Amino acid sequence: MEILAKLAFALYALVIITGAIMAVASRSLVRALLGLIAVMIGVAGMYLLMAAPFVAFMQILIYVGGVSVLIFFAIMLTKASPDGDESSPNSLRNTLNALVAMLAPGVILSVVILRYPPESFPRPTDVGAFNLGEGMLGMYLLPFELISIILFVAMAGAVLVAWRKWGNK
Amino acid sequence: MSALSLYQLVALFLLSIGFFGLVWRRTLIGMVISIELMINGAGLAIVAAAQLTPANAVMGQIGTLFVMGLAAAEATLILAIVLIVVKRFKTSQAGEISEMKG
Repeated sequence: MEILAKLAFALYALVIITGAIMAVASRSLVRALLGLIAVMIGVAGMYLLMAAPFVAFMQILIYVGGVSVLIFFAIMLTKASPDGDESSPNSLRNTLNALVAMLAPGVILSVVILRYPPESFPRPTDVGAFNLGEGMLGMYLLPFELISIILFVAMAGAVLVAWRKWGNK
Repeated sequence: MSALSLYQLVALFLLSIGFFGLVWRRTLIGMVISIELMINGAGLAIVAAAQLTPANAVMGQIGTLFVMGLAAAEATLILAIVLIVVKRFKTSQAGEISEMKG
């Protein structure tokens, strides 16, 4: 990697790390959501750095534009308290459990990555949006159609589940 | 350190901090946010492995796009389920929802 790419990588990694810590540790859920959005934008930047611009723009479009708005609606509709839903202190046992859940996969996998570093190209492969479209309508047509069915079923199911009259009948 | 291991380490960081949040958070929405962190890490790892190794790059990018679609579907369903739970139990604290039959 050249020096500029290294600088950009460090910047995106910084955005991701601060955003992730904000997303899990902040008391207010809206601030946690802001941290999540920072992580999504940092990950989109890393996609750009890996020469995958189409995936990066889809990341911005779907996650930053769609999923975060959904989560914000969920926060709004569950009547989150203004001083933070998680303001009461967490129990020690819960914190210990969470630390174990964080360290077990983290330590094992990082040891594997550091001791047996995978072979990698110095430069990413160049794949245009043209190749992606060809793949979606050729080789991977079936999963592409299945994803649309899953999206339709999920949306219809969500409307059906959250329909107000449904539970009272 | 190679470029791929750097990206993999960032993805691993997202995975483990997502696990931490999933166990540590007590509201359902906080758990959803942690799950989204983990899914972002997974997408990053897939694209890194596709772009920086001899593996099929088109397949990796399309796989990440599918992961994003699944994440959108999952977020919609979770929103509906959380709404139902809050309507019925009047709280979104995961510890207080322990009743099986409403």
